[in-house]
Amino acid sequence: MTIQTPNPVGKSVPRVDAFEKVTGAAKYVDDMAFGPTLLYGKIVHSTRAHALIKKIDVSKALALPGVKAVVTGQDNPTRLGLYLKDRYIFAYDRVRYVGESVAGVVAVSEEIAEQAAKLIEIEYEDLPPVFDPYQGAQPGAPLIHPDLGKYEVVPFIFPEPGTNISEHFKLRKGKVSDAGVADEIWAQCAAIVEDTYTLPQIQHAPIETHVAVAQWNPDGQVTLWSASQSPFAQRDLVAQSLGIPHGNLRVISPYIGGGFGGKAGISIEANVVLMAKAVPGYPVKVRMTREEEFVATNVRQSLVARYKVGCDKDGNLLAMEVAYYFGGGAYNDYGVNIVRAAGYSCTGPYDVPNVKGDSYCVYTNHPIGSAMRGFGMPEIHWGLEQIMDRLARTIGMDPVDFKRQNCVRTGDIIATGMTMPQIDLVQCIDKVAKAINWGHKDPPSAPHKRRGKGLAIMWKAPAMPPNPGSSAIVRFNEDATLNVYVSGQEIGQGAFTIAAQIAAEALGIPFEWVRVSANPVDTKYSPYEWQTVASRLTWSMGNAVKAAAEHARQQILEIVAKYWNEDPKDLDIKNGVVISYESEREQPLKKMVVYGLPNENYEGWQGGPIIGTGKFMPTYVTGLDPETGQGTRAVVHYTVGAQAVELEVDTETGQIEIIKIASAYDVGKAINPDLVMTQIEGGAVHGLSSAFEGLRFDEQGRALNASFVDYKLATALDAPKEIHGDIVETPLEDGPWGARGVGEHVMVQTAPAIANALYDALGIRFNHLPLSAEKVYLALRNKEKPEKAR
Amino acid sequence: MLHEITLTINGESYPVIVKSHYTLSRVLREQLGLTGTKIGCENGECGACTVLLDGEPVNSCLVLAVEAEGHRIETVEGLSKGGQLHPLQKAFIEHNAVQCGFCTPGMLMTAKALLERNPHPTEEEVRFALVGNLCRCTGYLRIIDAVLEVAEKGGEA
Amino acid sequence: MRPFDYYKPTTYEEAFALLTRPNQVMMPLAGATDLIPMVRDERWQPDGVVDIKNLPGMRDLRVTPEGLYVGAAVRMAELVRSPLVNASPWNLLAQGAQAMGHEQVRHRATLGGNLCTASPAADTAPALLVLEALALIRGPQGERRLPMGEFFLGPRKTALQKGELLIGVLIPEPPAGSVGTYVKLSRRKAGDLAIVGVAALAFPQDGGYRWRLALGSVAPTPIRAPRAEEALAQGYDEATIAAAGELALESCSPIDDMRASAVYRCEMVKQITRRAIEMTVQKLAGA
Repeated sequence: MTIQTPNPVGKSVPRVDAFEKVTGAAKYVDDMAFGPTLLYGKIVHSTRAHALIKKIDVSKALALPGVKAVVTGQDNPTRLGLYLKDRYIFAYDRVRYVGESVAGVVAVSEEIAEQAAKLIEIEYEDLPPVFDPYQGAQPGAPLIHPDLGKYEVVPFIFPEPGTNISEHFKLRKGKVSDAGVADEIWAQCAAIVEDTYTLPQIQHAPIETHVAVAQWNPDGQVTLWSASQSPFAQRDLVAQSLGIPHGNLRVISPYIGGGFGGKAGISIEANVVLMAKAVPGYPVKVRMTREEEFVATNVRQSLVARYKVGCDKDGNLLAMEVAYYFGGGAYNDYGVNIVRAAGYSCTGPYDVPNVKGDSYCVYTNHPIGSAMRGFGMPEIHWGLEQIMDRLARTIGMDPVDFKRQNCVRTGDIIATGMTMPQIDLVQCIDKVAKAINWGHKDPPSAPHKRRGKGLAIMWKAPAMPPNPGSSAIVRFNEDATLNVYVSGQEIGQGAFTIAAQIAAEALGIPFEWVRVSANPVDTKYSPYEWQTVASRLTWSMGNAVKAAAEHARQQILEIVAKYWNEDPKDLDIKNGVVISYESEREQPLKKMVVYGLPNENYEGWQGGPIIGTGKFMPTYVTGLDPETGQGTRAVVHYTVGAQAVELEVDTETGQIEIIKIASAYDVGKAINPDLVMTQIEGGAVHGLSSAFEGLRFDEQGRALNASFVDYKLATALDAPKEIHGDIVETPLEDGPWGARGVGEHVMVQTAPAIANALYDALGIRFNHLPLSAEKVYLALRNKEKPEKAR
Repeated sequence: MLHEITLTINGESYPVIVKSHYTLSRVLREQLGLTGTKIGCENGECGACTVLLDGEPVNSCLVLAVEAEGHRIETVEGLSKGGQLHPLQKAFIEHNAVQCGFCTPGMLMTAKALLERNPHPTEEEVRFALVGNLCRCTGYLRIIDAVLEVAEKGGEA
Repeated sequence: MRPFDYYKPTTYEEAFALLTRPNQVMMPLAGATDLIPMVRDERWQPDGVVDIKNLPGMRDLRVTPEGLYVGAAVRMAELVRSPLVNASPWNLLAQGAQAMGHEQVRHRATLGGNLCTASPAADTAPALLVLEALALIRGPQGERRLPMGEFFLGPRKTALQKGELLIGVLIPEPPAGSVGTYVKLSRRKAGDLAIVGVAALAFPQDGGYRWRLALGSVAPTPIRAPRAEEALAQGYDEATIAAAGELALESCSPIDDMRASAVYRCEMVKQITRRAIEMTVQKLAGA
């Protein structure tokens, strides 16, 4: 080890997983070898959006040579779900979306499983579908979950039985009632703007699709290998719903080829376990094709959002009414929390004294809306950041000045009554405005092109139950290299590298001495981690690792202090060596961290193998009043940021060229500044891409573009010429060295920033995602020659 | 139908028995244990399965294994020689052009072919060459920078 | 993927025997870039595929007294990089090949495969139409030639009879001084199917210029736009070019599909036709 980096926190040290990944050695689930007994599973998906299952005939499939088992919903009628248990593993009595798992075939080869899947005959009786969340929330809409009242639900989610509303979050702050913000407040507004914005479902589209392998041994030991952001949550959900003791169910998750929330919670994994149960002793693999990935795993919810905002003549925000109708899809077990998060953060990063917010999660007969990067924030900021722009312009203010004036600041009482922890959104706005050269417009590159700039701000809190825990173990090897055990998953964000940096820093050893033992995460050996979601790992897992390292450090100092007959307070560990500030003696860590140290004259020994353990769980999150959404502490903290986009439109075709994106996020402390920058860059392009993406369905609820042919991701040619990133560091009170997360935030407001830039360029507002050259072109044509509204 | 063939991969001979419809990507991964080449869509859209065939980048999911006999196949496993990383691999590490890593093998192979054919590409040419390699994590800029740096240094990292 | 058998004939006779097997669906295999996705999607369900890439002449790329001979198994990437195709006068074909797919696909996809799949959006088709290429067909009954315009019969439908193979394309040398441009509009800058594709070719004649225009993705097959071509023979000032765009539109019957609406396509026919003409005009000026 030639390079030694002491004190790596704050330094852009290289990723610990890069070597494996560039050599192709990094193993993902589908790369793992399971031997010649491996069987292959194929899930049969519903072809109807909403229908009763009258009959499933699996006899022809079972008769096909090579087929070992066929599993249906009759084999396990228990429901599962993270926050709301509304899902059967395989459809039980009805199907609720095209793509729902109806049966599972297990066979000796993938081909035979595919063939057998086609031989399964299902008789459906169609039911009237619901596709629009606003319509679905109205009285009289067909009920997708008539048994909603019977579902187990966590105490902070409020479904409305007898409707399609699986969660309704109410926010009432200031002079408001259920009817709205008081008239007297609206009367004080010099400008009021009201409008509706929508967005379709989009998909995470990780390059690695969902894959899972399960084996159910005759002795009751069950193993699940999955590409999972949530090995422990999966274990919990599967164990509960299948009646397996937690200690008998082992979840193993290696590197993940992209998660973005889609591999959080649970999707096909319980299905694979049930399929494995039918063939005890055999491992069964199911891998989603790209087409299945699009509709049969998880998607981001759609949204119909109504806003009404008002400010006084000086541009101070006075009132906000919002109604968010999220299209949660057929099952909302995870989606309800997205809606809750959108509810308590419904104002966006603004200081508004009077707010009436209603956030609804509505069942629709579409794919399952689940966690996706941003968790409700991209969805609500799409309309929010545009309507704020409009309000600013209505009052004659520059939108950036308006946002700077009205954005949340440390100490503000925000929508839920919580006091805003330390953040500096103003600095983010200023940095981004400067980087994009706000206020100046370069001439377009051709006479038929127009340039525009747009800026958008954001906030997001980790949306979690109040008690999500992290834990970590550190263990020394004889040569003083350190193994760090965590279950925070490496989905590309750099979690393993951060864990290594934090452990090294807190212990006082060089970064290069640390090995992260989390590939794979294995619930049999790895310490508990709630989930790799919510941009929480650097903060929460980081705190646990820090605690574990400090625990180990303290043990070492006490041993050496005793050895030297000194006070541990005068000792420190620097660069892998214990030193005394008092006597200036030194003791290398090698060997003593396993073998201990001898007493004087070798009269015995003391010490022994050093293991440090640590945990972190926030203790201060409180409940919220179900009628008002008010409470002392709704969330752990917020990360804030600003993003600006410069673009150019070809008015002859409507094509949009994104020239530059400038981002600034307050991360508290950049544990690894370059890794923060890579999140900023990746997020900017993901955000850009998301503005042009949308799943399209026909009237029967079937997806029309469930493949890369017609669901287009941004390519190397679409990435802007320049992405500028600024890191702001206002320490988080309980973050390790002040750090807070940023993995999701970096793509939350790109779409509205683009929309604001389009307005700047063309004077046209786009309320409905996705954007496209066609929409821009036709809107331009309508503007120049107005026709009847479409 | 079964075919007894020999595939030449990274300079080595691999005798293997394949069925007619088996794609090269599946055979590499499941019969030969060369799992560095990834599968992302099996439709020739995402580039995760990119290998070089006679020095040219192709989607191995669109090549039947039986068709690949008689051609020189290169996969990511063959990039590093005797523990020495290829300049592109080193550059990807140094530029933090790797996040989840799933697109990385495909990106490396396409980039290698590009630089062998066009040692001094412009940025536009690099972007154009990588259109068939989708990445959801990095935003591409680091990857483009890594390739340009290797080009600039004349293939030495 | 539904299993199928693979055959690699060494002679045309073998190939025809395989392709005409009774009670079996046998399909020719070239680059597989359409075949494998179509089989995965279950739109094509062959019992066997016949690899025709190595049959005599399939990979030929050479100038003959009758024009440029492009074997059906010549790949897009070869068309892009071949000095023969790249340099005038056949450069328009290289432009079309370059616009198709992405690097990986271009290294497998063949000209023959692109034409036989006969998507109305095929990027090489407009170029071949304006270059007035001939489809060279060989079958159990012998050989025949067909103008490219008669080769496409409808979306994904060609004039090939059972057992026949497209063995190549013969492109007569265009008139001296020809320059051409292929402009493709798609949702993404590259790696995407065309919303509209226009190939324009111009050459000097009788003191003025003659034009040939072809459009892809705006009708059941790729088409020529003869009335627009006539109009341009009068000149290529701004008004005439705009008129040509309108006339090109009259030859089109665009549909709504996943990539674009008919309304937008119609507008873009005019825009992209105009651009293809203007870019060609610039080349004429430079020549």
